[in-house]
Amino acid sequence: MNERYDSVVLHFIARIFMVPLIIVFGIYVLMHGELSPGGGFQAGAIVAAALLLVRLALGNREGARRMPRGVLLWLACIGLGIYMFGGILPLILGANFLDYAPIPVEWYNQIAGEPRTARATGIFIVEIGVFFGVATVLVLIYDLIAGSSRQ
Amino acid sequence: MKLLTLAFLAGLVALLVWASADLPDRADPNAPANRHLSPELTEMTKEDVEIPNLVSAILADFRSYDTLGETFVIFTAGLAVVLVLQRSRRVPEEERGDE
Repeated sequence: MNERYDSVVLHFIARIFMVPLIIVFGIYVLMHGELSPGGGFQAGAIVAAALLLVRLALGNREGARRMPRGVLLWLACIGLGIYMFGGILPLILGANFLDYAPIPVEWYNQIAGEPRTARATGIFIVEIGVFFGVATVLVLIYDLIAGSSRQ
Repeated sequence: MKLLTLAFLAGLVALLVWASADLPDRADPNAPANRHLSPELTEMTKEDVEIPNLVSAILADFRSYDTLGETFVIFTAGLAVVLVLQRSRRVPEEERGDE
């Protein structure tokens, strides 16, 4: 449906400049989810916008080849798995499901030299899971509706 | 009919504007909506979670079951779209003879 449009300006601006910038900004929003406005849902939407920009610039078929459907589905499953891991890890360590208090963070704080609480770490794990789920599912829905399914 | 609709809508707008005069100010700490759970959640975030972002603390800690459900909903939506719209390469056995 959406064909490749060959223009040096478009490909330079979109693929060399904007896509890396948007992905870096999305990861920034994800990493600062517990410090400033941001979090998994927002970061997922931003990174999905970058992946959709690749599809708009290259055409759906070639754009979808860079990030195929199987990979997207696997990443969505992995995101859900990360969320469940963030819930089950405290369960193994002797607390309730999704109660992040007993997550061990002392070794990380010694290496990185920053005071990070267990609950902030648990929130961060959960946000990563949400991030993968949102980003991949948004791109998946675009791929399937916008016609790269015609293979 | 159009005039009747317009008159009805104008009346509705007037009613809503009149009613909005009774609403409490935004961010009023004494508003009923802000007196019930908000102070508790704010204090719990400061004491227990120890992160500056109140929204993230509520979303991913106090209401983490809710967020887990949301993630499942998004994942299920993506899975449903894939299952409905994906064209299968395999042709069922009984249709293969016709082609």
